[in-house]
Amino acid sequence: MTIAKALRSLLALAALLVIVWSFYDVGMRTWRGAGARRAVTLTVLHWGTPSEVEIMQSLVDRFEHEHPDIRIVRIHAGDYESKLKTMFAAGTPPDVFYLGYENLPEMAGMKLLTDLTPYIEKEKASGRGAWLDDFYPILMDAFRFDGEKTGKGPLYGLPKDFTTSLMYVNVDLFKEAGIPIPYEGWTWDEYEQDMKKIASLSHTKGRGEVYGGVLNTWPAVLRNILWCYGGDFFGESFRDVRLDDPGSIAAMEMIQRTRFIDHSVFNATGLSKDGGQEFYTGNVGCIGPQGRWMTPRYRSITNFQWDVVPLPHQKRKVSMIFTVSWAMSASTRHPKESFELMKFLSGPEGQVMSAKLGLAIPSLQSIAHSQAFLDPDQKPKHTPIFLKEIAHSELAQNPRIRGFDDILNREVAEAIQFNRTTPMRAARAVENSWLAEINSPLQSKEYPPMRWDLIGGGTAALILAATALFWWRARRERIGPLDRRQERAGWMFIMPWILGFLVLTLGPMVLSLLLALTKWTALTPFTDARYVGFDNFAHMARYDEDFLQSLKVTFYYVLLAVPLGQIAALAVAVLMNNKVRGIGLFRTIYFVPSVVSGVALATLWLWIFNKDYGLLNTILWPVARWLGTTPPDWFGMDANLWAIPGFVLMGWWGVGAGMVIYLAGLKGVPTSLYEAATIDGAGAWRRFWNVTLPMLSPLIFYNLVMGIIGSFQIFTQAKVMTNGGPGNATLFYVLNLYRQAFELHKMGYASALAWVLFVIVLVLTLLVFRGSKNLVYYEGLKA
Amino acid sequence: MSNGETTHSLSRSDKSGRVMTYAVLLCGAVVLLIPFVFMVSSSLKTEAEVAAGSISIIPKEVQWQNYPDSLEKMRFRSALANTVVITVLSVLGQILSSSLVGFGFARFRFRGRNILFMIMLSTMMLPAQVTMIPVFVLFRTLGWIDTFWPLIIPAWLASPFFVFMFRQFFAQVPEELMEAARIDGAGNWTIYWRLMMPLCGPVIAIVAIYTFMGAWNDFLGPLIYLNSPRNRTLALALAAFNGQYGITDAQQLMAASCVTMLPCIVLFFAAQKYFVESVAMTGLKS
Repeated sequence: MTIAKALRSLLALAALLVIVWSFYDVGMRTWRGAGARRAVTLTVLHWGTPSEVEIMQSLVDRFEHEHPDIRIVRIHAGDYESKLKTMFAAGTPPDVFYLGYENLPEMAGMKLLTDLTPYIEKEKASGRGAWLDDFYPILMDAFRFDGEKTGKGPLYGLPKDFTTSLMYVNVDLFKEAGIPIPYEGWTWDEYEQDMKKIASLSHTKGRGEVYGGVLNTWPAVLRNILWCYGGDFFGESFRDVRLDDPGSIAAMEMIQRTRFIDHSVFNATGLSKDGGQEFYTGNVGCIGPQGRWMTPRYRSITNFQWDVVPLPHQKRKVSMIFTVSWAMSASTRHPKESFELMKFLSGPEGQVMSAKLGLAIPSLQSIAHSQAFLDPDQKPKHTPIFLKEIAHSELAQNPRIRGFDDILNREVAEAIQFNRTTPMRAARAVENSWLAEINSPLQSKEYPPMRWDLIGGGTAALILAATALFWWRARRERIGPLDRRQERAGWMFIMPWILGFLVLTLGPMVLSLLLALTKWTALTPFTDARYVGFDNFAHMARYDEDFLQSLKVTFYYVLLAVPLGQIAALAVAVLMNNKVRGIGLFRTIYFVPSVVSGVALATLWLWIFNKDYGLLNTILWPVARWLGTTPPDWFGMDANLWAIPGFVLMGWWGVGAGMVIYLAGLKGVPTSLYEAATIDGAGAWRRFWNVTLPMLSPLIFYNLVMGIIGSFQIFTQAKVMTNGGPGNATLFYVLNLYRQAFELHKMGYASALAWVLFVIVLVLTLLVFRGSKNLVYYEGLKA
Repeated sequence: MSNGETTHSLSRSDKSGRVMTYAVLLCGAVVLLIPFVFMVSSSLKTEAEVAAGSISIIPKEVQWQNYPDSLEKMRFRSALANTVVITVLSVLGQILSSSLVGFGFARFRFRGRNILFMIMLSTMMLPAQVTMIPVFVLFRTLGWIDTFWPLIIPAWLASPFFVFMFRQFFAQVPEELMEAARIDGAGNWTIYWRLMMPLCGPVIAIVAIYTFMGAWNDFLGPLIYLNSPRNRTLALALAAFNGQYGITDAQQLMAASCVTMLPCIVLFFAAQKYFVESVAMTGLKS
């Protein structure tokens, strides 16, 4: 006992020390930070792994050292889209930031980027610009955009680095299957044959299942495969969807064949999004199309030899370029200094450092061909193939309107991931959805600008009038001085919330309601919004398949998760209320899961929900066999039915959070009631039913309401785990909302979605309130 | 002593009941702990072992070095200080403001109370993603970007979630208790501070735990409001392991995650007894 006490005091002391130190540390930094002032401050936004961050920091330090009058605020974002979006929306975009070329048409189309051509010309005129010719020409073209097409027109970015697409191979498996490594190139027909040969090594030499390959099929790389067969996503215009071209169809049929007939190619569905893990195990012959970015990870492979080979060709030999540049926002106040910084960041020094890291190919030719990149001591041995592929590499044309990739993902998965339809039907479905999207009034109609002045004035008048009315009525009503005193005290006590409500909730809510009537990208200040009336709601009902799907998914989840979650939490709480030795430890153990970080969990659930060797299905196998069936492929083939129950199970794992509330409530039940019940001869079950439940009813009611609200807003788990997939089987409402707002840049539409959700939840909650009137027992509540 | 399972002398059925309880408790604990154990063991593996998707609990070679490496990579020291400051101030603010408002809603009669209460509840139903940008614009106008204020101030303005919880508890306190205090000459503030607050120990503990966890693990808030590297919180630093092309150095991510969640676990372990051993609640018994 005394040891426990001493330990507790020690912990408290340690906590206190940490707190004091933290305040001291932060205080000192704030104090000191106020000193350093420089004439110009530039903000730089980027993403990357910790190693990339280190490189960036050392570059920034060097730059600040060489330019004493410029201060750099380097911002590293773990969620780049959200960060970039909020900065643009608030009218404070970063001066210099990463820009992938697939986003160029949209950003340049909205005039958010500075045309760099004049700066380049000035640089060349001054005689110091020779190094700019060292950039691979195709990369410079990747950041030119003329308002319609990528490749010509003004230049909007200095290429930071890039990669071509190729395949990583397991050299050992190729040798064992007797296949020469295709360093000089191969065709997709040969690929199919080779995959079969490698897959036939399954169950030899004590191995388990062996796959010939993993085919990545996310939109950009799928497009590369289509190219090889002479197909493409689009024809000359973005209205002309070419997925039903013979070439595109042939490519998709090849994927279907290898995955579902030959079973020679691993079909990565569900939580294991990329199959990269499978390659690691050494049971996969090759993986691709893939860029340079996997190289650093694969360098830690020790159990087999690996290398890179060109992508197979068929009708054409072609490798897609992926590249990221440094871009400058159009509204920067220091374009000259920003360009200096961009030059420095994409210059030779930084390129050498990142070349050694191995994540990408330097965009400067001289460095790409130097030892820094081609270091013969580093794997893969055939790194030069990355450079050779540049000779037949191509840029992809992307539309200014986003959303095609989502449609493609959803529909094509039906064919090449689930084998539920033919490529031709999938192609038609993509075309229909895409045409519906670009023909929707929201995309095609011209709308007048939003009259913020009128609306703002009107809203202010309305609020004033409402307040005045309230005041007036309050004054007229006659109440006694005692009541008045009580009233005043009541208002005093709720003042903190009133303040917060007015400033942090009502204002933003009204604004979002107004935005629901607009078309606004959130990449420009909201004075640029266009008034669309109720077209957002019309679009929802008529054109947006994702909206209906997300409603279905969410209702399914709420119906399952709320009752099951509450029952689990209550049961665990009752269990935890037992007075047995070591219960404190048990309580903590049951609580631990609810504090584990989401990112770290992703890997874990992969392992638990795997169809074949997952922990859960290992347990379920005997049960399923007894019932004459097989356990579900949770987030794979059976996702439409089983993915949501999977999420409910994951939710159970965090039962500790709900348990805590019930546990506290159980404590509030007076012992005398139980004693009286026991004397009256009530058993444990009767006591629970007639004492515990009624006494807990306010809490159950509370948790129910919170559960409904929370379940409708499920987001983080889904974002981290499935991101809506496979297909759209886990496209929860708020996930769709987030996608519309932050990925598809339809902030106005997303606001409309939010209000629809708001109304749905409000109605449901009111129903629960109604229904619970007679079921909830308040002991001393003043009516 | 104060729960449903009244303790008598140990009869046989009690004994077997106890064994049953332990069995159930243990089973549940094992299930719930597996993932956690997996995390800890992954944090001690080599990069290659983690990347290959090894599912063994015992690492091939134990890599203690992962811990100092990951802490250095995430610049643990300043991130910890920032997170502690934000969290402590948030917890204090949340307990104070939410209990005040909850008391106001539960125990005072004033016109508009029920409407306001409904409004408060309904504000919880609007997804945060939508008010995010307007609120951001507001804080920017105040010049609070890249400071901790946007992360702390909202906690001092009461959150509906906790107000509701406090209100449900305050509403349960028998009216006679308050009447007695009033007769003794206690004013509203005294009743709030001396009578109500000590009574709702379990709620305070819950609000503290929830707010602590929320502030400690908050990602979106710090992401959009904090810019400079020196202002980063632990959650932001953790997210940095998640690169553009997926997670690299998963073993270090696991190590960093373990260290980051440790305070939450310790806090809960220390606080859990307040959920069930609140002395003050005994005031309700008689």
